[in-house]
Amino acid sequence: MLLARVADSLYWVSRYLERAEHHARVLDVALDFGLGQPSDGGHRVLDRLHGVLGGQPGAEEDYEGALFDADDRNSVVACVVAARENARQVREEISSDMWEQVNALFLRVRQMQGESSRGARTHFVSKAVIDGIHLFHGITDSTMGRGEGWQYLQLGRFLERATITAALIDSFLTDPSDGAHGRAALDQSELSALLRACSALEAYCRHYTADIRAERVAEFLLLNHDFPRSIRFAARCVEGSLLSIGQHSGRKPGGRAERLAGRLHASLEYGQVDEILNDNPHAYLVGIERQCAQIHAAVSQTYLTYAIDAALSA
Amino acid sequence: MNGLAQAAAAQTAGATRPIGVPPGLFGQYELGRPFDEMFQPDGTVRPHCRPLLEELLAASLPQLRQTQVDADRAFLTQGITFTVYGDEQGTERIFPFDLLPRMITGREWDTLSRGLTQRLTAINLFLKDVYHEGRILSEGIVPRELVYSCRHYRREMRGVHVHRDIYVSVAGMDLVRLEDGRWVVLEDNLRVPSGVSYMLANREVTKRVFPGLFSRYNVRPISHYGQALLATLQTLAPPTSSDPTFVVLTPGVGNSAYFEHAFLAREMGVPLVEGRDLLVHDNVVYMRTTSGLRRVDVIYRRVDDDFLDPLAFRRDSYLGVAGLLNAYRAGNVSLANAIGTGVADDKALYAYIPEIIRFYLSEEPILPNVDTYLLSRPDDRRYVLEHLEELVVKAVGEAGGYGMLIGPHSTADERAHFRHLILADPRNFIAQPTLAFSRAGCFVGDGIEPRHVDLRPYVLFGEKVSIVPGGLSRVALRKGSLVVNSSQGGGSKDTWVLLD
Amino acid sequence: MRYTIKHVTRFVYDAAISESVMEARMQPRSDGLQRCLHFSLSTSPGSRVLMYQDHDGNSVHHFNIPGRHSRLTLTTDALVECSEPPELPYRLGPQGWSQLDALAASGEWFELLAPSAFTQPSELLTAFASELGLTRGNDPLVLLRRLTSEMYKRFEYAPRSTRVDSPIDDALRSRRGVCQDFAHVFIALARSVGIPTRYVSGYLFHEGGDRSTDGATHAWAEALLPEVGWVGFDPTNNLLAGDRHVRVAIGRDYADVPPTRGVYKGSTAVKSELAVAVQVGPAQSLFGSDPVPFTPWKSRDAAGQLVDGDLGSQDQVQDQQQQ
Repeated sequence: MLLARVADSLYWVSRYLERAEHHARVLDVALDFGLGQPSDGGHRVLDRLHGVLGGQPGAEEDYEGALFDADDRNSVVACVVAARENARQVREEISSDMWEQVNALFLRVRQMQGESSRGARTHFVSKAVIDGIHLFHGITDSTMGRGEGWQYLQLGRFLERATITAALIDSFLTDPSDGAHGRAALDQSELSALLRACSALEAYCRHYTADIRAERVAEFLLLNHDFPRSIRFAARCVEGSLLSIGQHSGRKPGGRAERLAGRLHASLEYGQVDEILNDNPHAYLVGIERQCAQIHAAVSQTYLTYAIDAALSA
Repeated sequence: MNGLAQAAAAQTAGATRPIGVPPGLFGQYELGRPFDEMFQPDGTVRPHCRPLLEELLAASLPQLRQTQVDADRAFLTQGITFTVYGDEQGTERIFPFDLLPRMITGREWDTLSRGLTQRLTAINLFLKDVYHEGRILSEGIVPRELVYSCRHYRREMRGVHVHRDIYVSVAGMDLVRLEDGRWVVLEDNLRVPSGVSYMLANREVTKRVFPGLFSRYNVRPISHYGQALLATLQTLAPPTSSDPTFVVLTPGVGNSAYFEHAFLAREMGVPLVEGRDLLVHDNVVYMRTTSGLRRVDVIYRRVDDDFLDPLAFRRDSYLGVAGLLNAYRAGNVSLANAIGTGVADDKALYAYIPEIIRFYLSEEPILPNVDTYLLSRPDDRRYVLEHLEELVVKAVGEAGGYGMLIGPHSTADERAHFRHLILADPRNFIAQPTLAFSRAGCFVGDGIEPRHVDLRPYVLFGEKVSIVPGGLSRVALRKGSLVVNSSQGGGSKDTWVLLD
Repeated sequence: MRYTIKHVTRFVYDAAISESVMEARMQPRSDGLQRCLHFSLSTSPGSRVLMYQDHDGNSVHHFNIPGRHSRLTLTTDALVECSEPPELPYRLGPQGWSQLDALAASGEWFELLAPSAFTQPSELLTAFASELGLTRGNDPLVLLRRLTSEMYKRFEYAPRSTRVDSPIDDALRSRRGVCQDFAHVFIALARSVGIPTRYVSGYLFHEGGDRSTDGATHAWAEALLPEVGWVGFDPTNNLLAGDRHVRVAIGRDYADVPPTRGVYKGSTAVKSELAVAVQVGPAQSLFGSDPVPFTPWKSRDAAGQLVDGDLGSQDQVQDQQQQ
């Protein structure tokens, strides 16, 4: 038995942490590309990354905002604060160790916000956030029972991952200046930036060697079976969590959320990268984001914010 | 009975310092008028405190300091904290903890236990009576006006049947020990008494930092409080439900006692819910779970009456559940504690508790009250206004040490302020003699000194009355202070009730 | 005299709301000189209507509607028999005040002597009392008769001049108000001289010359007087309550007996409109299906605090004023 509000909070704890981690990494990559005199490709990378972060390209100060601006709901700090607030609501549901880690991460970020030093700070803040979140997931793995609550944590984490990874790939693969959203021609630096923003550069090289090609990058990030940051992997996790959540809830199998997740997973399972790229990659990636949003809405309607009258007559 | 006069008579010309104790840690330990929990008036150690004293004498100051650091860290890492209101940083602080356990002998405890049982039994009969036929009012034992004018009296509860007539399931009665060693009840706390999580946490930490000492004593266990509380709630389950569902209702993370609410829910293995998790349909309470709506049968609520039901009480409350009172009236859900129990812990009504015990039980009270002046009585008022410097004045509806004037520690301005308040609304105030209540040894950083201490045992009223042997001993850590509330510089210590 | 009463209350929300929970105090009482022979209450959307008797003996119907709706209608039908009260002496005996003091000393009537939420003493009230020369000099019954007629003279009856939660000072300042305000001022003054007084919510079968609005609920006051018992005073219409007054609910003041009281969940932006139609007629009259004209009401601005969180929405309150 899990309260709907508690499930909702668990879901958002991991969603916000995933978002914080993603933004921290994108910032770090952007910072790296902004150093020195970037090439043309480097400039385009910066434009793209800034697009993902929702800001304008600019100086170091703008990274401060993306890190610490409490009014920006997507800043790293705002995401960490939101994750901690949600965790505080469910302290009796998660292990004390998990709570303490979220709290420690929050205090660390707050402390860094107060420090005045500039310069290489963005990198270290990003690193601290990413490490702190990895630690949280490790603690979760080793201290929390694999019950219904755990499934909501998984669901939030991987649904967020699928969504933001699709958006990131889209910002690289399609040419925003082309009204028809045609495919962009990417140089090596752009492709490796994309891989790094997904923490995938090393894994890619192990899989394909250091020969970085657009088709392979797309295939790796979209369709790789084993890499935990590929969309296919995330979709598999989402589907698995939803099957388990459905069983826990005692509802009939095959509900809307399960069907949507199953469809998304199957389309990735049997997808072909050349078909995707030759057809309309932008539409394809936007489609993935839309399906993720539909899954979110279906979960909410089925398990969390369902209408009382319908539940009473059930 | 005049407690203060008796206590003064019992005062003897005793020692001013412990006898047979090398100065060292005890260099600043003074014995005075108040009862000392560790030493007898002649300065020798009380027999049951001898092992404690030996343990302390064998320790060094740096060792004790390290132990204190260890203990504080244990509270912090376990997250046994309270939220500081108005702090946007979300700071959570620990409740100051004193290392040295406070000891109560088995014989004393048995008397306390009988006295508390008697008192709560009478209080439950009183609540049933005032919300139904009102015998005690028509017989003039308790003035009707006093009850009707009480801020916590709920006329909506008149004639409402409360399952098994149990109004107060959980009470946290505050006791102090006077100079002559007698225990008296200071307050009854019958609404949503808090602090029991500290009682349990203090024991866990003390066992960890003083394992040797703990095993030298035969301390009665308290760790079964969660089970005892659940058993108490089980007696409230409406007879219609074969597999009742229990929940703890909290105002939410913003509440200073949120940790305790989450703690008790976990101890009992029941969900911790907020008002927005619940709803009432056709007089039945449900909670919203991921697998649909689930009926709720018993609510251990840590939300005040005022906020429980916006349909019946405060309209602006969003902590409660609309329609809850109607479901309760229909007998479809039980609340612990019942609505309207605050009428019996009004500080003016407190003065009548001994009469209430006599009226319903035909027994003499085992635990006396502190003499209390009701400022609504002209004679009492005249006396109190002439003796403000000696007395403690309390607002009747307040808790937590707020709205209080401690005469001997007050300034002329404060007294003038209270005189004004009293004259404006006499019914709202009572006065009591300033009690030199007992002191227990505390580790204060540089050594061990006596500090004033009270005791809040938690009394559970279910199938029968059960009192987990112990309680929260709150200490006024500021030297000379008589205020033990955490909001005002108080701390707490573990309470050991000995087997004999 | 027998009356049939049809009372339709309609709430219209400008956006759909859900989880309406409502209490209605609309069933005429069966006590004293009045018997309620039939009563029914139905709601649209439909619901299971439950009932309990509150501590004052009022019948309270309540229901909840969990699903989304943007309109809520309550319809009641009642058949009531009212008898003419016995002839009242002009004044009480010489013991009037001392008997009242004895009543007060018993503590029994404490709640009808102490100020309640809507009958708090104020400077304006004191000023009004001295303007009338309201002291214990007179016989209690004579004093209340005079208070009734003076209020009738000095206050203008003005529908929609005050709101459902207006304090009496609003009416005292402007010397305008609706029957709810008249009753509250009357109660506050009667209590101030030591007469136990309560609020009555009900209906008036109108005749020519009545000032209060036909087609609405009505309110007046009842005072407890030695030897004669409860006597109803209707300062709005300068009447002693008689067999045209149908008593529905009694309490310390309006706050105890609103005809409807409810909360619902909806976004803060939702505004509600309330309309009420009442028909009181002789028993043989059959109200046709003609639409009953609705009287608009000033409802409370439902400002409040937002519930946070993804599942939250706002609790709103809905009361109706008595005219």
